[in-house]
Amino acid sequence: MKAKGAVSLLFVLLLSCLSACTTVQPWERGVLAKPQMGLEANPMQSRMRTHVYSSREAAGDVNFSGGGGGCGCY
Amino acid sequence: MAATDGAARAANALQALSSAALLLPGILAPAHVRAQDAPVEEFSFQFDHFEEGRRDLIDVRSDLDPIQVDVVHGSLNAILSDRLNLRLNYAQDSWSGATPFTTAPLAANGNRAILRDTPNGVIQSGASPYANNRVLLDSARRPYVSALGGPDTRVVHILSSASPEIRQQGDLSFAYEWQDAGLEVGAGVSDEPDFYSRFGNAALRFDFRQKTTTLKFGVAYTDNDIHAILDSDVVPYLTRNAYADRITRRDGEEILGAGSHEWTWHAGVTQVLNRQSLMDFSVGWTQSRGFLASPYKATAVLFVDPMLAQAAGATGLVAGDMRVLMEQRPDTREQWAFSSRYVHYVEALDAALHLNYQFASDSWGMRANTFVAQWVQPLGAWTLTPRLRYYSQNAVSFYTPYMVSEQAYRRVSFEDGEPIIQNFDPALLPRYFSSDHRLAGFGGVSGSLTLSRELTRGLSFEASVESYKRDSSLQLDGSGSGAYADMDFTVVSAGVKLDFAGARTRAERRDRESMTAQGEHDHSGMSMPMSAGAHEHGLPPGLMFAHTLPRAGDVMMAYHYQSMLQSGAMIDAHGRVSDADIVSEACLPEACRYVPREMSMRMHMLDLMYAPTDRLTLMLMPQLMSMEMHFRELDGRPPVTPGEHEHANSGGHRSGGFGDTVVAAIAKLPFSAGGQWHAGLGLSLPTGKVDLELRRMFKTDGGLMHFDMQTGSGTWDLLPSVTYTGMGAHLNWGAQWSAIARLGGRNDSGYRLGNQQQLNGWLSYPVSHALSLTLRSTYTWRGKVEGDFNAYSARLGPMDFPFNQGGRLLEAGIGASYTIPATSLGGSQLSLEWVAPVHDAPYGVQLARKPVLNASWQYHF
Repeated sequence: MKAKGAVSLLFVLLLSCLSACTTVQPWERGVLAKPQMGLEANPMQSRMRTHVYSSREAAGDVNFSGGGGGCGCY
Repeated sequence: MAATDGAARAANALQALSSAALLLPGILAPAHVRAQDAPVEEFSFQFDHFEEGRRDLIDVRSDLDPIQVDVVHGSLNAILSDRLNLRLNYAQDSWSGATPFTTAPLAANGNRAILRDTPNGVIQSGASPYANNRVLLDSARRPYVSALGGPDTRVVHILSSASPEIRQQGDLSFAYEWQDAGLEVGAGVSDEPDFYSRFGNAALRFDFRQKTTTLKFGVAYTDNDIHAILDSDVVPYLTRNAYADRITRRDGEEILGAGSHEWTWHAGVTQVLNRQSLMDFSVGWTQSRGFLASPYKATAVLFVDPMLAQAAGATGLVAGDMRVLMEQRPDTREQWAFSSRYVHYVEALDAALHLNYQFASDSWGMRANTFVAQWVQPLGAWTLTPRLRYYSQNAVSFYTPYMVSEQAYRRVSFEDGEPIIQNFDPALLPRYFSSDHRLAGFGGVSGSLTLSRELTRGLSFEASVESYKRDSSLQLDGSGSGAYADMDFTVVSAGVKLDFAGARTRAERRDRESMTAQGEHDHSGMSMPMSAGAHEHGLPPGLMFAHTLPRAGDVMMAYHYQSMLQSGAMIDAHGRVSDADIVSEACLPEACRYVPREMSMRMHMLDLMYAPTDRLTLMLMPQLMSMEMHFRELDGRPPVTPGEHEHANSGGHRSGGFGDTVVAAIAKLPFSAGGQWHAGLGLSLPTGKVDLELRRMFKTDGGLMHFDMQTGSGTWDLLPSVTYTGMGAHLNWGAQWSAIARLGGRNDSGYRLGNQQQLNGWLSYPVSHALSLTLRSTYTWRGKVEGDFNAYSARLGPMDFPFNQGGRLLEAGIGASYTIPATSLGGSQLSLEWVAPVHDAPYGVQLARKPVLNASWQYHF
């Protein structure tokens, strides 16, 4: 049930995005290619942050990557 | 004005053209993927330090150090072919310090003050966990304090110190790119003494609508093995009946064995909204099964004997029997997470605003909300990124700071004169319970500031500091679980990143400039471009301070790894020493009880070199160490003192963290005398530790850890060196004298490591342009330790006495250096060296040395 809800939510968001957004031609993407516009502004920090939050918060280890990180038992 | 407009138009046209070029089939990345997310050849190395503030124990001042973690993280992205990319990651954590193992009513007096005799009188020097006590309860079962004449509902954490531990994680992944799709498959392991984890993952990406829409799908699987040594200071008070079938006993320790596994599925979409903004949504589902409790967390239960309760007078006061039970969590957990991100470009400031909201819930009843706002502001060569984060979670359904149970913990009755013991009935307790503060309800705010800068083309630096405060009153609905769990921590990070494409461009430009300059001033026609790495090619990798960079402005980034092992027999300058002699002579005026049977040391060092002039090169070398020592009980040792714990537990001792940091300058000397001469002077800054302690076990302090297990010298040290290198038609050679001179007096722990001198001689044979072999001979003289520990040390054996340190050592080594040809990671150099002891003549009695492995990777541009 929850799975259905989440997938529906994703589709609704996707559709609303697609209808709301304007077409951006390749030669109009100079700004989007700037370093500050990357989804991860500081990739070197992200891994450490996930590890730290997951050792101190119940939901801190919710990430969308591929496992690892160890016990965090301390 | 017209000229300015023209220039602006030209710049816009250029930007449009370069943006269009980026999107050519085959090389193009999705529009929202900026340079560092796209497949690039890159090497990064980062150090992090995590440190908690002291916990508030209310009525006891604990001097137990809070948790500290030192982390080193190295990462390499290599392009294997046009479409195939390899990613390698390695991380090592070293941590130590005290952490809560349960919570209890303050009235239970769970943190016992440890009192010590000192020349200045009796002082309170710590807090020892004591979780088995009687607590007076009123009729509402609230802790009652006679001195207050009423209830005292305050609760407090009971702390237990954790022994220093090391975790290592390595993983790799392959990423393949099609024109409108990408696939990444990876796997890795995480290894710590009590927790071994294997994981694998796969992620798919599809690009649509000229790459303005990206769909992402991923799956990951993790399998965990748990071998937890239960805390010996807590075990005497710990009720662990629920896990009796999982616990085994070895050398007086109890080890809990278990396993768990986890599947994660996630899907997401990234959408370019317009020329200046994009959004990203993801949903994730994680299912965990198996042993999901923490073996180091327990819940306090106040057992109230109904017979006593009935007998309570008009006051209703009754004594509760406080016991601690290992926590019990469900063996399945399903977590849902939703994440959304919005990135918007602010043209007026050339900055970007990043907003992130995340919601997570799980089958344990936890709901968490996370809000992050981040501002990425380029300022010339710098980028400044302030970031604010707010996190709130409610407690899981089975969280409780402590419990009251209306039954006797244990009742003894007699039948026909025989005692009959009746233990508590677990069915009368909740099926699941945990007092782990991480499952409580609370809020957390953190602020961080990240500074990054491109130091030179291809090399950038990033540093960050984050301060986090957990506060129960910050929970979204204000119903936090209580102030006893409030805490704060700080994380400091610093790292460098090498972008090979940028570095190569820089090197090629400098080669051209150099040739032009030489062409103008040198009419001999003999000018040669400097190929990266050529000058250091053929030096044994274990050798430091042996070369300068050839030209002003040159940069070199290197990573050095050293693995050292001592094992086997205990020896002195004349050879093997018998157990009987060690017991009677090696720990005078005491008698030895143990010897190390194995000692290993690993070092990860980053080496950054920069040449401000043609003759001078500056170096910066931070490092992270980890050590491990295992013991053997000596034959004929004195008998164990009854009731005394000796700290030579079967799991051995581990330590680690940042070592000393070296800054150095090397100068090319202005004469040749048949070869090249260099003089170096380094300064070792005492960033390592000399006060690492063995944890308190079985109510016995371990005191300061062995000399060899401290990560630093504790003193400022001078490192002079003189190096000679010669080149022949078919053979190169060299010699070096180097030394370590300890400056000033003794360190904070009362001793000073011995000075050191070393002589090196080597031959290098270039097999080809890319490969060379090295032979090296090394003679090292290390002085004895001066002074001694100025605080208590358990002194198990010879390694804890200053006269068993230092000595003379002759070694021979063979090595190879390989320069990677101009494909993936082209121009960087890999070296390996194996150095074996030929003659080992230690002072006193020491563990025999085994061969040392040196490995290094370096890139010069």
